[in-house]
Amino acid sequence: MTDAATSTARQPRASVVAREATTLAAGARRSAAPGGAQRSGRRWWARLRRDRTLLIMTLPALVLLGVFGYAPMLGLVMAFQDYDLYDGLLHSPWVGLANFQQLFSDPGFWQAFWNTLSLFSVQLVLFFPIPIALAILLDSLQSRRLKSVVQAVATLPHFFSFVLVVTIFNEVFGGAGLLDTFLRSHGVTSPFDFMTDPGTFRLLVTSQLIWKEAGWSTIVYLAALSAISPALHEAAAVDGAGYWRRLRHITLPGLKGITILLLILNLGFALTFGFEQMLIQLPAVGSGAAQVITTFSYENGIVAGNYSYGAAAGLFLGVTSVILILGANKVAHLFGEDGLYRK
Amino acid sequence: MSRRGFLTATAGALGTVAAQPLLSACGTGGAPAKTGAASTSLLQRILPHYKPSSLIKPDYPSVAGSSPAYLSYPSSLVRTVADTPGSGGSYTAITPLWGTIPSAGNPFDQAVNQALGATVSVAPANGNNYSTVLPQLFSGNKLPDWIQVPTFWAPPLNFGQAAADRLADLTPYLAGDKIGQYPNLAAIFSSGWEAGIWDDKLYGFPSYTATFNYGYQLYYRADLLDKLGIGTPSVKSISDLWDLATEVNDPKAKRWALGDIFGYLYQPFNYALWMLDDKGNLITQYESEGIVEAMNWMAKAIKAGLVHPDQVAGNYGNGVTEFYAGQMVIVSDGSGAWNAADAQKGQASNKGYTRASFDFFAASGSGTPKMPLEAATAWTSYLNKGLSPKQVEECLRIANYLAAPFGSIEYNLLNYGVAGVDYTTTGTGPQLTAKGSQYAGSAVSTYNFLVSPNNTVYNAGYPAVTKASATWAQRNAGYGYQPLFYELNVVVPNSLSSANAFTPFNPTSGIMYEVARGRASIADYQSTLATWKRNGGNKLKAFYEGVLAQQKKLGSA
Repeated sequence: MTDAATSTARQPRASVVAREATTLAAGARRSAAPGGAQRSGRRWWARLRRDRTLLIMTLPALVLLGVFGYAPMLGLVMAFQDYDLYDGLLHSPWVGLANFQQLFSDPGFWQAFWNTLSLFSVQLVLFFPIPIALAILLDSLQSRRLKSVVQAVATLPHFFSFVLVVTIFNEVFGGAGLLDTFLRSHGVTSPFDFMTDPGTFRLLVTSQLIWKEAGWSTIVYLAALSAISPALHEAAAVDGAGYWRRLRHITLPGLKGITILLLILNLGFALTFGFEQMLIQLPAVGSGAAQVITTFSYENGIVAGNYSYGAAAGLFLGVTSVILILGANKVAHLFGEDGLYRK
Repeated sequence: MSRRGFLTATAGALGTVAAQPLLSACGTGGAPAKTGAASTSLLQRILPHYKPSSLIKPDYPSVAGSSPAYLSYPSSLVRTVADTPGSGGSYTAITPLWGTIPSAGNPFDQAVNQALGATVSVAPANGNNYSTVLPQLFSGNKLPDWIQVPTFWAPPLNFGQAAADRLADLTPYLAGDKIGQYPNLAAIFSSGWEAGIWDDKLYGFPSYTATFNYGYQLYYRADLLDKLGIGTPSVKSISDLWDLATEVNDPKAKRWALGDIFGYLYQPFNYALWMLDDKGNLITQYESEGIVEAMNWMAKAIKAGLVHPDQVAGNYGNGVTEFYAGQMVIVSDGSGAWNAADAQKGQASNKGYTRASFDFFAASGSGTPKMPLEAATAWTSYLNKGLSPKQVEECLRIANYLAAPFGSIEYNLLNYGVAGVDYTTTGTGPQLTAKGSQYAGSAVSTYNFLVSPNNTVYNAGYPAVTKASATWAQRNAGYGYQPLFYELNVVVPNSLSSANAFTPFNPTSGIMYEVARGRASIADYQSTLATWKRNGGNKLKAFYEGVLAQQKKLGSA
């Protein structure tokens, strides 16, 4: 198998470089150890001075994260309070786990939880492979012009809000939309209403997501594809490997790292995805199909003014998301992949 | 959904107040419950004394509380406020607006401020998310000097405490005879002022006060029924409505008989948020037999394909357009839907467009129809507690100007703006210009939401609309009755606020909505009801039983 031989011949080179780098770093650590506190302190300063430009560049991001990411988390204490608008976080009475007790005994919450999981699973299975396929397709296009046109058209819906996406879908597939009006005028008395059927709702939201996001999501994969050396393809082709063989042994392995990274990140959003999309379509299919944890939290917390209860649902969601993302990362490491970071 | 649509959803805490501390809080935490029922004599001391004023004799006078109506605009306007009310003060205000937000400092605002002799900068905020903005303003103590807080959005704000902590007490300025120095304010019905009383103190200014105030009525396209050869329909029972609906329904021609009219069905099936059952026990409407019949009827109508698919899908946004286009023949809406703007827009898309309304009816067809009334106004505005007594007095003088009645120079300015710029006078009366309708007067209701006179009906250029709606109101006002806790601002303790939000029964996502769409059964409904009762509903009922008992004791029930 010549193509396999080529790739294995090249792969070691990269890993050798990586291994050398780690060895060097380990050596540096070792030599630093006996130096004593003073020396290491000075070295720390030296490193800080050396990297100051990079550190300053990360500062705005850190401040942003602190102000909008971490500081609001303090508000989560209201999940353990009977929060009152006027008493504030400092003076509202503590109620321990009462909000969580109520939450876990609320059938509406479990409904929302299972809806979240099932909607996410369906989207993951049906949506996730599509940008990869689309990226490979785009990458294989010879005409640059055609490629950029297709890419622009496919990316555009990303910039539409879900309000618009749902409206467009409703105008086409809704009970009074183009399709059903056409069917009705051709003798179908009660045509199927795709927009209000809870049974097919998972497929509906997935198709909306594909229409809206598939083009946009290809960008990362296209970048990864462009990083694969054309020499690999050429060498393989010279050795007689066909398109499918090259796809399997060159293109897909080249995408593996980024695919796994995105999969893990996706899992992190498993419980928070689609708030807007669900909120808009809740009335159409009902809470039995479309209520997810985020909309549940919004409806019970913000709309009903029961902030503590909403915060409890939100905290549950946050903790579960962290567990999911760490779990997926662990699995990735077990399989020898980089995951979120290199181990 | 109309603005008023929210009323039925949250009608629980409407009404007025008064409160003596009475009941201890049920459940854990929270401040001691204050609610209920001031004695009539205490209420008498707080309430401003009503002193009617009538500038012009209406063409359709009030019958049983219906709003007086005028066919034509008075040719000579009267000045009701002699002096410039303001003394140069500067105030910020926030009101809700369902429409495009006009730019600040527009010609209308400038003209009004000049007339007021003070700067009242009203910053209208998007009405669709007003209810979620209010808590931030209140909790962050970022209130403007003057703010509109509809009573149906007050419960999540814990308003009893909000008023005491953040809002100016107007009792010392307006109680009893003191209102006499503000004659336009004194001409607002006492029931309007009742809506602004919280815990025995008067805080709020009323807008659009009307005694015959209700949630929904059932409209139909009179011109379409004429065209179909049906003529003036006679709907005297729910089965009459069914027969009419099946007759006009024709989805193949893109014409559905009904919108989602579930919001209206409490009228024929006769239930109100709080009511007494046959044995005299206090129940919520969700426990009534009427609501189950109403759900079954709506489910049957949806299943039979009588309801427009967009309404079934909960896409209410296009409802009015679809009604104009003749895609829906019968819809439910608030009284505010029947006016000149409606006729104008409707006729623009369909020349013969005519809106008409069925009289109230009883589902069975026998007995007198009944309509539970709502508080005389849900629109109340408040002054910031931080204002000095001098500033409060200036605001009261400004309020007196804003409350000038129909037929006055002040009313004309506040509703139509400046002649030649914001409106033009045609043979039938003042009409907003294209520019004026973007920022002026009744098109934006900015100053009107701070305070406005008792409701009157006048439709420039459309006297036929006035005639139809005024005679309808005169015929139907007598069917109105005051339900339990009418005009009582009940302050529910924090621990019960979750149950009091009636979230499982949310009209656009709750269980009734699901049952009507055939996605849940009546058995599911009963189990949701049982869960709600278990999670605080029973305690809430007990709390309201206490309020009822207290009301009886004080003789104000």
